[in-house]
Amino acid sequence: MRTNHKFDVLVLGVAVLALFGAAVARAEDQLDAETKARIDKFEKGPATIDVSKYPQGIQDNYETFSQKCAQCHKLSRPVNCDYVLPDEWSRYVKRMMRKPGSGIDSADGKKIYEFLTYDSSVRKKVMLDDKLAKLTPDEKAAAEAKIKEVHDKYDNK
Amino acid sequence: MSRVTLPMSDELKSNLSQPSDAGPTASRSTVPIWIIVLTLLLLFLGAVYFDRHSGWFDKQVYAPYTSAEQLASYQPKSGAASMLTHGKAVYETYCGLCHGSDGLGKPGQAPELAGSEWVAKDITSLARIPLAGLNGPIQVKGRDWNLSMAPMGASLSDADLSAVLTYIRESWGNKNGAVSVDEMKAARAAISGNAPTAADLAKMTPVERGHAVFQKYGCFQCHGQEAKGGVPNPNAKTAEQVPGLIYVADGYTKDELKTFIRRGERNIPMLHPDGPPPPHFMPSWSNVISTNELNDLADYLFSLKPKGDNLGF
Repeated sequence: MRTNHKFDVLVLGVAVLALFGAAVARAEDQLDAETKARIDKFEKGPATIDVSKYPQGIQDNYETFSQKCAQCHKLSRPVNCDYVLPDEWSRYVKRMMRKPGSGIDSADGKKIYEFLTYDSSVRKKVMLDDKLAKLTPDEKAAAEAKIKEVHDKYDNK
Repeated sequence: MSRVTLPMSDELKSNLSQPSDAGPTASRSTVPIWIIVLTLLLLFLGAVYFDRHSGWFDKQVYAPYTSAEQLASYQPKSGAASMLTHGKAVYETYCGLCHGSDGLGKPGQAPELAGSEWVAKDITSLARIPLAGLNGPIQVKGRDWNLSMAPMGASLSDADLSAVLTYIRESWGNKNGAVSVDEMKAARAAISGNAPTAADLAKMTPVERGHAVFQKYGCFQCHGQEAKGGVPNPNAKTAEQVPGLIYVADGYTKDELKTFIRRGERNIPMLHPDGPPPPHFMPSWSNVISTNELNDLADYLFSLKPKGDNLGF
């Protein structure tokens, strides 16, 4: 009997919170709708990556990534977003690390970039190949060289 | 007085001797399902009621109006009154956060506009403040201030600016007279009088022209001279300052940068989520800046990256 009672209270609590949340969400200032929809979609995905099969160095870099990036936004955003090319990651990481007070120095930035580039070439392989195919031959070669550079640095070590 | 003891009847005595079964008892039972259903239904109806009657908590909407649109439909469409309502709306969006809905300002941050001698000055002097911002020491009603105000009005149209200046000059006891759109246009021209002429611009490189654009729209007021940053923005997550721009070439493509400038960013992430919103935000420039100006500005900002600095990673 007692547990049933608790369950009822829980149901009520959840219902109240849901209604309240809906009201707050609706009242919130509208960010650029397209960007917001993109971010929302990414943030709904998982917030962690199974790195157990990655080389040790990349696993260490994953730690840096988790720690630094979660200071300002959900990890599910970069984990599920559609950035995969080395240049996209380097631009994005530099944009973040240049924000005053980011606490990311260039050594950290490099680790995060290497992790994201490595991870994209494994976990987001399909998306990466798709994007590589759309580049000019020169750009494609440059991007592949950057991916190879990261793999050469960490694989089999 | 001596105590009188009444003899107790036998019936009463027998009642006292046994435990009474007439009192209330408590027992556990589940909440009936209809109560839960009813509560959810009431919550739902409550939410519907709020939705229809509160204009979704819009601070401008009170009963009996149900939405901002309905409220707007009752506003005067022309004349001095419409200028004031328009001006109030602009004021609440761009000025009220710091200068207060009551025009009394914020101690240590923004001086009062009610009764301020600066509001009573000529229109050009007054218009210069929202158009170009105001940095440094200033005296208002005998008190000293050290201001760092962004050019909050630089992205506003002449109609918006004349309305908001009229509102400021005619509210909270101020009686300084209306500002017409034509007067505002003249004031804007006078203020940007030292801008380079078309002939000058034609001779300049894109980077030089971009620098002129940077000056023209007062970007330096928030992003610092030569875009080096450091202007305080209390409670902004970016170390409580407006970011510098010298590394944008690293973090953006030119198209991304131009999109960002056009769109602006109204919601600045807060250092302390419970604290006040940071006073400075990035206005949207899409209705202000021309395509050519934006291209030049992006060239200028990309040129700022320190040379030989391959700090990237």
